[in-house]
Amino acid sequence: VSADAAADQVATPADDLVVSRLRIARLEGRIAALEAALERRSEELRELQRHLCRADLERLGRLAEGLPPQLLIPCEPDAWEETRELTVAEVPETLLDLWASLYGTPAPSLAAE
Amino acid sequence: MSRPPVTLIVLAWNHWELTERCLRTLAATHLDGAEVLVVDNGSTDETPQQLERLPWVRTLRLPANLGFVRGNNAGIAAAPPDADVVLLNNDLEFTQRDWLRRLAACAHSAPDVGVAGCRMVLPDGRLLHAGTYVMPDTMWGQQIGSLERDVGQFQTGVAEVEGIVFACAYIRREVLQAIGGLALDFESYFEDTDFCLRARRAGWKTVLCGDVTLVHDEHGSTASQADLMRIFQGSREIFRRKWQPELEARYHHRLLWQSIMNFPTGYAMSCRELLRSLDELGVHTVYRYVYGPKTVFPPVEPESSGDYRLNVIRGRAAPRSPAVAVVYGQGDVFARNQGKYKIGFTMLEVDGFPAEWVAQANRMQEVWVPSEFNRQGFLECGLRRPIHIMPLGVDVRYFHPGIAAFPNPAGEYVFLALFEWGERKEPGLLLRAFNDEFSAREPVRLLCKVINRDPGLHIKEEIRKLGLRAGGGRISYLFNLEFPHYQLGTLYRSVDAFVSVSRGEGWNMPLMEAMACGLPTIATGWGAHQEFAHEGITYPLRVAKLVPAVAKCPYYAGFRWAEPDPEHLRFLLRHVFENRDEARARGLAAAREMAARWTWEAAARRIVERLSAIDAGDARHAPDNRGSEAAVHGAIGAGAVRGAGASRGAIDAA
Repeated sequence: VSADAAADQVATPADDLVVSRLRIARLEGRIAALEAALERRSEELRELQRHLCRADLERLGRLAEGLPPQLLIPCEPDAWEETRELTVAEVPETLLDLWASLYGTPAPSLAAE
Repeated sequence: MSRPPVTLIVLAWNHWELTERCLRTLAATHLDGAEVLVVDNGSTDETPQQLERLPWVRTLRLPANLGFVRGNNAGIAAAPPDADVVLLNNDLEFTQRDWLRRLAACAHSAPDVGVAGCRMVLPDGRLLHAGTYVMPDTMWGQQIGSLERDVGQFQTGVAEVEGIVFACAYIRREVLQAIGGLALDFESYFEDTDFCLRARRAGWKTVLCGDVTLVHDEHGSTASQADLMRIFQGSREIFRRKWQPELEARYHHRLLWQSIMNFPTGYAMSCRELLRSLDELGVHTVYRYVYGPKTVFPPVEPESSGDYRLNVIRGRAAPRSPAVAVVYGQGDVFARNQGKYKIGFTMLEVDGFPAEWVAQANRMQEVWVPSEFNRQGFLECGLRRPIHIMPLGVDVRYFHPGIAAFPNPAGEYVFLALFEWGERKEPGLLLRAFNDEFSAREPVRLLCKVINRDPGLHIKEEIRKLGLRAGGGRISYLFNLEFPHYQLGTLYRSVDAFVSVSRGEGWNMPLMEAMACGLPTIATGWGAHQEFAHEGITYPLRVAKLVPAVAKCPYYAGFRWAEPDPEHLRFLLRHVFENRDEARARGLAAAREMAARWTWEAAARRIVERLSAIDAGDARHAPDNRGSEAAVHGAIGAGAVRGAGASRGAIDAA
């Protein structure tokens, strides 16, 4: 029987104190679990930081947020792999990608103003 | 004045699903009482039965498939005798509710307009049609703007064209009364161009209505591919016999044009535009590549330009001894001019010209430059031949305020700069000024489209060395991207303002394009672009002084260029950002002026005028070297010039 179910079973107007204590115990348990998870995640990230470069960390971060791992068009010097070759690109897609990368919003549709 | 009634003639043959979509979408538009007549060209599917269920459609049923020409002529004959007609294919889709009003307005925009067509796009959004032309060399009809992604090109009101395709054609009744219907020489294909040429011969213009766009599922209703080719080639041969002599007769001048065309350079881009416009204005031009092995630019030129008209011009046989030849390129290839009458056409970004260029220019009959800035520079360096100003232009069909935009969704004010990283464009000055003037908290951004092909230059390191402040104005970059030129208008239209901070310009095409798109612009107040950029339509950036032109480019050695004033740049950036209405108005004024004065057609007309003068014997009367020099200097002394000399005087005096 879960704590919620137990609380529901005993939650009578006559025994509010017991219900409150059960809920507090349940919440404290959740907080402890979250703290443990956070500690594990922090340790993982510290470990990644020791072994990965900034670009890889950014890619991981984008993946964790459900975004593609890399901007199609890097618009900051740090993200650009310097080359003397020209890359053929289309203006509408480039701009939509640029705005999405700058403002963190999903790319708007291709219907131009 | 009231307009005549209109009959829409939809020609259909089987493929009811196409006809149904055509009529359904047509019915959802403003027809303003126009009659809809479907000519059923002997359909054997459900078309006859389905048409009977549409009471708002009049049907003319033909006993058999008579083909495109006879089918449409039957429709024209069945229309009221006083009505204008609009011929429509049944594979059209109508997505613009006021298409008919706009098309009719175009067709009646002038007394001598007889035929009006519209833009047509494929269902996938590519531009299929913005008019047609035929080169007499090949007699193969071509559609203008064909298959480019639609970004709003040619949406520029009424424009005269040689022909249109009759998938959608508004024909005024007076034209039908003057020349009759479609020519029966043709079963299908070329009948539309033939009609437009016949109309032109009778004094009626054909125009493209850029404000109307229809979706055309091309060839959705024609016969099999084998039949299609048989019909096409048969019609082409008939068309050749009928029109080739007349089309060839439209050329009034012959010219050998030695230049560069199929590389991504400024000369090549402007060469392509000039050749197109010269051809349209009746100059029969033969193109030859002026560079290549044993020249300053040794690569062999790729054969195809991707443009049908230019490929034809490039493929023409060169005359053995051309009467007039133009070398359009750097002055150290003038010596390759093969004409009897030699013209050298060039430009440079500093206040003079190298001795070798001047020496070769002095062996030409005459020299052309695009600006007073360069004219002055040539004369001061010892040019002794006649020199004429031939300005360049901008294609306002691709660069105008109505081009599609993809503005940033956050509403930040965006300045755009385009440049190849190097000494002349002085990127450090712009980046520092912007970063210093603004703070990261302000809703403003500088977007730099940067090109670097120099293996000895590391842009990231160059940017790092500038030491830009993290809390300063924010800057983003588009590094080494190559966009199709026809899409650049979309880039300009998607930002709010344009900045061109350079030490010198031979013309400054990006500035001109941005101005044609209606952007407020900030540009260095020194250089060839002063020919078209003045205070009323741009924000001139003050020049602190002229300094030696120190750069990798060997042509600049010994000459000077501008040092823009960084404080004034900061002032102008802030001014434009905070006075947006004023800046917007100045940008729109620039767009109007570009469209009115600085088109490629206008540029080509100047050349045609000069060729006419040469043909008329002006060359024989050209003064000799001494006379020329004296005449030119006399003009300068009389204060007849402005630009480079005037600027230099003002700067030196300051």
